[in-house]
Amino acid sequence: MRLFLILAIIAILNLPVMAIDNYTLENENRIQTLIDNIGTNILNKNKIDKRIIFTYDDKHKKKLLSTDKRLSKRQIIVYKDLYKSAQTDDEVAAMLSREISTVVKSYSGIWGGRLDSIQVTLGSKKFEIAADKRAVDYMVNANYNPLSLIIFINKTCPQKRSDRFSRHNLTSKRLARIYEYITYKYPEYLADNEFLNNKYYQNFLLTSIENRKKLKEKIKYNSTEEIDYE
Amino acid sequence: MNRFLKILVSAVIFFIPAVVAESANSLNSEPFDYNFSSTYSVPINLSITEDFSTKEPINEGGHLQFKIVDDVFVHNNKILSAGTIVNAKLETIVTSGMNGFPAEIVISNFEIPEIKSSQLMQTYTQKGTNRCFWVYPLKWALTPIPFVGSLTNLIKGGHAKITTSDVITIFYYPDWN
Repeated sequence: MRLFLILAIIAILNLPVMAIDNYTLENENRIQTLIDNIGTNILNKNKIDKRIIFTYDDKHKKKLLSTDKRLSKRQIIVYKDLYKSAQTDDEVAAMLSREISTVVKSYSGIWGGRLDSIQVTLGSKKFEIAADKRAVDYMVNANYNPLSLIIFINKTCPQKRSDRFSRHNLTSKRLARIYEYITYKYPEYLADNEFLNNKYYQNFLLTSIENRKKLKEKIKYNSTEEIDYE
Repeated sequence: MNRFLKILVSAVIFFIPAVVAESANSLNSEPFDYNFSSTYSVPINLSITEDFSTKEPINEGGHLQFKIVDDVFVHNNKILSAGTIVNAKLETIVTSGMNGFPAEIVISNFEIPEIKSSQLMQTYTQKGTNRCFWVYPLKWALTPIPFVGSLTNLIKGGHAKITTSDVITIFYYPDWN
């Protein structure tokens, strides 16, 4: 009986630690399940016949001296930093679609996709835009609202002063190109816009007035020229 | 006390399998509008009706017209005749870039009479000439001479084009939903 009491006291003292561990584990399992569910939904609905896996990582993204696992292992790692800004299923779908489009690119071309992967890395400005556009297609095919990609990028990607010497586009340019892509290909989402009462979307509209004016001009004159967005 | 422990242990043993089974079942019970079980596929050969190049692009989402090259048979029954017109959508254009990066186009959404798009594996990609093979080694060789390596930035990749003589193949899976 005494032994039982000692064990019970030890167990009770450990309960908070076990509860925290269990909470963390359950939380990670819940996020992983959500990511797997939405990610696989996008893969199947788009009939992407390439293997891609999704992994939630509680740690912060390492920026230096780490290989891009999207291109080397076809593994999409969703870091906590990014995941915490995805507040709806549509936004999770936006985040994953963007990554999927990069991974799919790593499968195409010669040498098992190695050359294309190098090109994605070296010429990332160009492929950044292409990946954004493909992400819009993937979202539409999987019945998610592509405007969520605009909302998600608007919330998560900072705005640099210039992209002249950068390998990445200005976020405002990316957003403008996505908006243009949706305008031409999926105008129904803008005509019947369910995000008009979304403050994040309204913030995008507010910060993209000049770029949207340029797009209006392009549409007015039925031009096929690439717009020089700001 | 012992009785309480027995009840507790029995309850745990009784409930755990039920909870595990329920969570496992919930992943399998969702109805889908697709079923990829069948591997039987039929190739459909198409050719574009007018040459297309990214040199004179159309806007993304614009339509391109193709025609079926050969009769299409499913289990020896002819379902499509050669010459049938098929519309498709120009999904994405990646313009050619510095250092020999080629242009690229993605075509999808082929509208084939009597065939649902969900039964087609249909994304077609065409690239222009990739000059990165020689441009990058050249760039690296010239880099020791100040500013000269950057001159390769002026070399652009080739335009993506589809001519009327090109045959592209998409696959029809008649047993898919």
